[in-house]
Amino acid sequence: MGLSVPAVAVLLVALLCLDPHGRVGSAPICAHGPSGCHVPSLADLFDRVIQHSARMHSLSNDLHSEFEQYFLPSKNHIGKIYRKCHTSNILTPNGKENAQKLAREELTEVILKLLMAWRDPLFQLHQSMAHQQDFNSFSSNKALEMGDMAHELRKGVEKVAEKMRVLGMLGNSVTGLSAAEAMLPLSDSGEAMSDYELLYCFRRDSNKVQNYLKILKCRIVPEHDC
Amino acid sequence: FYITGINYILTYVTLDHKTSHKGVSAPDKPRLTSCRSPEKETFTCWWEPGDDGGLPTTYALYYRLENSETVYECPDYRTAGENSCFFNKNDTSLWVNYNITVVATNALGKNISDPVEVDVAYIVQPNTPENVTAVVVDDDQGPFVRVSWEKPRTADTRSGWITLLYQLRVKQEKEKEWEEYDAGMQKYYNVFSLHPDKEFMVQVRCKPDHGFWSEWTQPTYVKMPDYIPREHSLWIMITIFSVFIVLILTWTLNVKRNSVKLCLLPPVPGPKIKGFDKQLLKSGKSEEVFSSLVIQGFPPTIDYDDLLVEYLEVYDNEEQELVLDGKDLSEVCMKSKSPSDCDSGRGSCDSRTLLLEKCMEGREGSGSDQHQYSQHGETSCASTKSSECQGLEPGSPESSDGRVKTWPVVFSSPQPHHHYQVEAVKPVYHSVPEILNHSSPHAMPTNYHQLHHQDIPQQEGSFSKPACRHSQSYNQFNLDGLDTPAPGVSPSRSLEYVEVQRVNPENMLLLRPLSDPNREPEGSDYAGEDYSKVKEVTSNNILLLQRDTYHQCVDDYSQDLDSQAGQCTTQQPPHPCKPVIYQSNSGMPQEGMRVMGNGYVDSTVLMPSY
Repeated sequence: MGLSVPAVAVLLVALLCLDPHGRVGSAPICAHGPSGCHVPSLADLFDRVIQHSARMHSLSNDLHSEFEQYFLPSKNHIGKIYRKCHTSNILTPNGKENAQKLAREELTEVILKLLMAWRDPLFQLHQSMAHQQDFNSFSSNKALEMGDMAHELRKGVEKVAEKMRVLGMLGNSVTGLSAAEAMLPLSDSGEAMSDYELLYCFRRDSNKVQNYLKILKCRIVPEHDC
Repeated sequence: FYITGINYILTYVTLDHKTSHKGVSAPDKPRLTSCRSPEKETFTCWWEPGDDGGLPTTYALYYRLENSETVYECPDYRTAGENSCFFNKNDTSLWVNYNITVVATNALGKNISDPVEVDVAYIVQPNTPENVTAVVVDDDQGPFVRVSWEKPRTADTRSGWITLLYQLRVKQEKEKEWEEYDAGMQKYYNVFSLHPDKEFMVQVRCKPDHGFWSEWTQPTYVKMPDYIPREHSLWIMITIFSVFIVLILTWTLNVKRNSVKLCLLPPVPGPKIKGFDKQLLKSGKSEEVFSSLVIQGFPPTIDYDDLLVEYLEVYDNEEQELVLDGKDLSEVCMKSKSPSDCDSGRGSCDSRTLLLEKCMEGREGSGSDQHQYSQHGETSCASTKSSECQGLEPGSPESSDGRVKTWPVVFSSPQPHHHYQVEAVKPVYHSVPEILNHSSPHAMPTNYHQLHHQDIPQQEGSFSKPACRHSQSYNQFNLDGLDTPAPGVSPSRSLEYVEVQRVNPENMLLLRPLSDPNREPEGSDYAGEDYSKVKEVTSNNILLLQRDTYHQCVDDYSQDLDSQAGQCTTQQPPHPCKPVIYQSNSGMPQEGMRVMGNGYVDSTVLMPSY
């Protein structure tokens, strides 16, 4: 009997702990409605999504100002020549009235298009920033996080759209995004955009997304914060 | 023509020297100071005109949208005031870069400002909040101020187009520092812990989630009422806490009051007598009080009769001889000759007369009466209650004339060996209790026992010269079966102290009186010690006397003492420095063996060594 008392005790505890797990089967998620698990309401979903987009935008803001501060000090809103953002062909409302004129479905679609359009470019951005030695790891981590957030946000908005569709708020005109929608961040001239330009464009687009989501929310679930 | 030319020349000259004198020139470059949008739907740009060059200068603002070459001019120069350009909703596009320039033009030229890139979405600065109200609200906790406001009229938060965050600040009129509070998106705020009976100023401002802070509102005044501060709770807590502390202290003091009393009032040392009960003293019953002091049976209440019996008078009678009783009982009949000396102050005459008597008959060796004696060679005197061994009657030294009582030498029990020094170190005087009478045998043992059991300090001593001396034996002898006449009988006799001269091989003590002129001084230091302390009483009823100076060990026991449980014989192996048991009281008459508190032994009642 070479086992010491503590070892035996540990084994017993382990057995006790492991055993119940093995016997637990999977239960249907939220099968029993409200008594089961908490189903987030549309308002909750919107809140989450809006928070998410706010965070994403603040990240992009930080990165952009970092970039501007350290790498392009000379450019101070003066003489900047921007190439068009690759998302400029997506028609987006550029004012409140225009945004309010859009239907929910269209607005949702715009949001989704924007988010989709940035999936690959953000990945590219992160790659590019990681490779450059000029950026510290903190910045490149931010870029990575930003990309992930955009991805998550898109998923979240899709869920919101789904929920709305379920609730009958959305018509069926919202089309799913196809792969063709994903664009490559190519400028008119066909050249790849620089990091700074990408950051600039993304900052703007994230602001758009946040704004559109807020409008959508206050239009659909105007309980609070509106 | 000539005059026109001169005019032109003059004009140019003045233009060139515009700094030196007030001339006219082209305007300086204007500067766009800021562009702001209050609600993210319109915006206004302001510029700062440069030097106008002395001529009326006009300013024009031109803008160009991002990635477009179309230049537009400012649609509204008036709404926003002087040197401003107001872009209304129709002209405002978000998320589009505006390239704005201002051109200053006068008669002599124009000047273009540096272009400014503006994205309206990022230049939002809302108007100040409106309708700031501060109201004192009374609560059971205490009054506080509830500040409430409204959003700036222009900001459209309802549609979610703009999200405003609010901030307020409070201070007293005379204070320097403002106390700032963030209210988030709510339009009210409760300000607590304002000082009572003071007037406060409140201001509010707001900011969009990405943008600039608005201006502070005009201060709103509010006066706090005069109320008892809510530090009630604080005082209550302090009170409770201190009460608690006081309670704890009191309790501690109470518990430790004895030690506190001890500390503050050190007690007067009282009598410390072992066994003495002060309480009884207080209660006043002296008998009980002193009862503890009284050792039962101690001093051995030996009737003086017994004492008298015990005394062995030694007569200075050459006829007497030391007779050794060769009986089995270890008896040493000793003969001492000495007149009795009755100088004792005690009741009886504690002369150390050693009565040697030849106890012939009736000696029993068993000493059945007192088992202690069994080991010793009880003298027949002890065992028998006969009056054989009667000592001289008190007062009649002559009675022992011719009779030498043999003292059964009570040798010490096996344990304590008595070793006596052979050499004369100090003559020790042994007071031999007078054999007055036969003591009742029963009395003896009891006394004996009592003596024995008492914790008498033993003394060590040494005999001078004796081979084997057991002074206690004398006691035993004395005690055993010797009738003691009425106490106090003996004193009439004159007793003298005897000095043991030597112990002959037959265990006989040869005594000689102190006053014997023949005696040789034995040891210079003889006068040193008068008393010997009883050191202890061993279990075998051996009284160990203490001899301060030294112990000598003598192992010279006589072989005669076989019968005695070999106190002498068995104790042959010399135990170096075993306490010598004997007593010596010289010069102190005693009437019975008493062990005084100071360790001295009253050797009148020479206890057997057991």
